[in-house]
Amino acid sequence: MGIKIENLGVTYGNHRVIEGLSLAIEPGSFFTLLGPSGCGKTTLLRTIAGFIDASTGRILFGGSDVTRLPAHRRNIGMVFQDYALFPDKTVNDNVAYGLRARGEEGATMRRKIGEALERVGLGHLGERHPAALSGGQRQRVALARALVIQPQVLLMDEPLSNLDAKLRLQVRGTITELQREAGITTVFVTHDQEEALAMSDRIGVMKSGKLEQVGTPSQIYRESVSAYVADFVGAANTIEIDAPAGTAGQGTASIRLAGHAMAARVPAPLTGPKAMFVARPEDISLAPRGEGGGNRVAGTVTGRQYLGGKTSYVVEIGEGITLAVETHGDGHDRHVPGAAVDLGFDPQKTLVLAS
Amino acid sequence: MSGASGTRAVWWWLSLAMLVVMAVFLLYPLLNILTGSFGSGGRNGWAQLLADTTYLEAIGNTLILATAVTLLSVLIGVPLAYLASRYSFPGKSALALLPLITLVIPEVITAQTWLMLLGNNGVITRALRAYDIALPSFYGWNGLIVSLTFTYYAYVYISTLAAVRGFDVQLEEAAQSLGTSPVKSRLKVLVPVILPSVMAGALLVFTMVMGNFGTSSILGGPVKLLSVMTYQAAVAEGGSDPVMQSTLASVAVGLIVIVLFCQRWILSRGRYQVVQGRSARPVPLAGGQALLLGGAAGAVVVISLMPLVMLVAGAFTRARGPVMAWGEWTFANFERLLLTNPAPILNTLLYAGTATVIGMMASTIISYMIVKKRNTFTPLLDYLGTLPLALSGTAIGIGLAMSFNGGWLPLTGTGAIIVLAYVIRRLPFAMRNASSTLYNIPDSIEEASISLGVPPVPSFFKVVLPLMLPAIASAMVLTWAVTVSELSTSIIVYSGGRETMPIQIYKLIDSNLMASASAMGVLLLAVILIPIVIATKVFKVELFSSG
Ligand SMILES: Nc1ncnc2c1ncn2[C@@H]1O[C@H](COP(=O)(O)OP(=O)(O)OP(=O)(O)O)[C@@H](O)[C@H]1O
Ligand SMILES: [Mg+2]
Repeated sequence: MGIKIENLGVTYGNHRVIEGLSLAIEPGSFFTLLGPSGCGKTTLLRTIAGFIDASTGRILFGGSDVTRLPAHRRNIGMVFQDYALFPDKTVNDNVAYGLRARGEEGATMRRKIGEALERVGLGHLGERHPAALSGGQRQRVALARALVIQPQVLLMDEPLSNLDAKLRLQVRGTITELQREAGITTVFVTHDQEEALAMSDRIGVMKSGKLEQVGTPSQIYRESVSAYVADFVGAANTIEIDAPAGTAGQGTASIRLAGHAMAARVPAPLTGPKAMFVARPEDISLAPRGEGGGNRVAGTVTGRQYLGGKTSYVVEIGEGITLAVETHGDGHDRHVPGAAVDLGFDPQKTLVLAS
Repeated sequence: MSGASGTRAVWWWLSLAMLVVMAVFLLYPLLNILTGSFGSGGRNGWAQLLADTTYLEAIGNTLILATAVTLLSVLIGVPLAYLASRYSFPGKSALALLPLITLVIPEVITAQTWLMLLGNNGVITRALRAYDIALPSFYGWNGLIVSLTFTYYAYVYISTLAAVRGFDVQLEEAAQSLGTSPVKSRLKVLVPVILPSVMAGALLVFTMVMGNFGTSSILGGPVKLLSVMTYQAAVAEGGSDPVMQSTLASVAVGLIVIVLFCQRWILSRGRYQVVQGRSARPVPLAGGQALLLGGAAGAVVVISLMPLVMLVAGAFTRARGPVMAWGEWTFANFERLLLTNPAPILNTLLYAGTATVIGMMASTIISYMIVKKRNTFTPLLDYLGTLPLALSGTAIGIGLAMSFNGGWLPLTGTGAIIVLAYVIRRLPFAMRNASSTLYNIPDSIEEASISLGVPPVPSFFKVVLPLMLPAIASAMVLTWAVTVSELSTSIIVYSGGRETMPIQIYKLIDSNLMASASAMGVLLLAVILIPIVIATKVFKVELFSSG
């Protein structure tokens, strides 16, 4: 069942947290809300759930308007950051809770509980209390509890952020697998860009209560519409430059970066006299001075961090202007601090965006 | 009605209703006290207060007494707390009894048993008299300071203990590693950290002494005190003075409000929040040190427990009128109480029972709204809920008696006004207990239930309330304990035939019938202790789990 949000506004008292937000989420897809702390991700999710009233706009589940429907009648599954398991109930009773509320009982209910727990790999722990489970197990129970009621939409607010790195990967896998299997429309909140890129069909990047960009992971990463998005999704070098002349339209333009002339792509019309130069560290190539190809800029290595499979450099290309560069492949750590180098830019992967 | 706002409207109306109830039973009486002090027909209580030196003397005495008792309580409570948390020594476990003792022994009983030891007819007084040693009179400053200190010092002890325990030893070690000597670093680092807690305990003692009625009246003798004069202005037969009772009650309210503001101010300056860390492992004491410190701590515990021993001894001792025949044991005191006049016992059970149930329900609902369903009214509810702390028991009694004596809600002469007095006086206590557990229950639990399809109100009953139950049970037992021993408000609003046990004890002490008073005291302790024992032993309720 798809979710449609039309011109949504949410205020806390006089404080406007979400403004004029519209969004369509495809039935059965995995949608991620990504953004920095305080940008309104939780607020949007809880408004979809029905815990917060919309002050303007509409929310539709599969075409029917649920804006005024109380939360308990929206048939949602919700997974919380702190698990929110009922501590006084066993795992079985936690999972049974929503089924009982729907009047199910007896053998059918027990079968469903068994299946739900089996699916998250916890079939043997039904009699335990939440306190006797690990963090990863608790979040799996929460997931089983939310899914067993076969909700129309699944809402998750940073469900992985209380887990350590290894568990996060495991539970992440469980979530994606179950979501695909059940084909359930899912809204997932995170501020971890890696999580968002790995799990989502589509991502919405939020900035102070508005959606800055909505798109597939590669669109968000490759075709960022703003320096804000580019910087938030993966590391990016962003440097303010003078807007290239005569590029009202799109295409490749010649720009000046720290006094060096070079070419870069302008994906969208620019407004104003300033623009933002955006290049990802792994998209910049590094060669000893004089050995670089076309579209290059001279610089000096000022910092180097060996990271095993790659090396991360800091290269100064002008007074106080530095770029982060990442190199892979053979001899990726061969440049030493102080070395004179050439930085090579692929005009297709180097963007000039509105600032 | 829309989604979330539909249920929000329910809470909005409920909080408004609670606000109205609290305004009627709290603000209205307070208003009556204040307006009453300006009198009518040209008789102004404030002019009279300033003209008559006995009133000013009483205010001065009250402040002196509160200061003295507070200082002594700090001098006993703080070292004891440090000793208890940092050292181990033989007999230390007896210290764990202290919080229970203070809550359980009603102050009238403490005062009474001190009289039985050191009063004009006291055991020690008479024994020494046989050797021609005359003790100074216990009525007046001596008795007041000794008895009140041992009634209240444990409040300082408890709050200091929590602070010293929570204090991170690493801080102390860090200071040492920076080159200060152990003793110096201890003072430098520990003192600022525990100071706010010590101050909080001390100010609590200060306000309780200022509002104290029972001990002040029993032991005050020639020393004029504000609470006693207020009481006399309110109930003195034939001599009651409505204008002066309001004026004096207003003064009492004003003084406590000033103290509470000082407390706010001190706490707001408390930048001493310590991250809970490794607390110190108690250092075992041995030899002379153990004997000395353990002995000192033991003495404090023994003196605190003395009332219990004297009470039981007195209750089973034969007496002819005021004269105790020590050594002659009997059940006659109990028989007399139970057969001729069991009303106070039944009254206490009925009124305190009703008040505890009403108080727990009201405080649970109000705290729930304050913590989980904030709206325009909930901050006001929060303020009103703590207001009784700023009103001495005597003042509350006077306010209730003035407000519900005839008129649109005539409660005077009924049991309801006593129940009301109990609920109001113990509301802050019950609310504090309820809200501290609610803060520990995450909102997400309730939302999880709603998201699974259970409407908000059933969600509260199905998932929130069960999590609160253990805390409610322990709060209920503690509220019961502090309610049955309430004296200063009920003694103003009760009417003939509706005496409660503390009132009866007070009257018996007043008539110098110590044996009967002791027997009633033992029964009162039983009424307090039996629920505590049943709750902790049978139902495994954990009292003081947070402290
Ligand atoms: N109950 C509230 N009352 C007033 N303002 C609130 C309330 N809850 C959140 N806000 C404000 O609304 C804004 C958005 O908050 P929200 O919780 O949606 O952010 P978030 O994107 O989920 O952040 P995080 O990543 O830290 O969870 C913030 O500025 C926050 O301060
Ligand atoms: Mg959030």
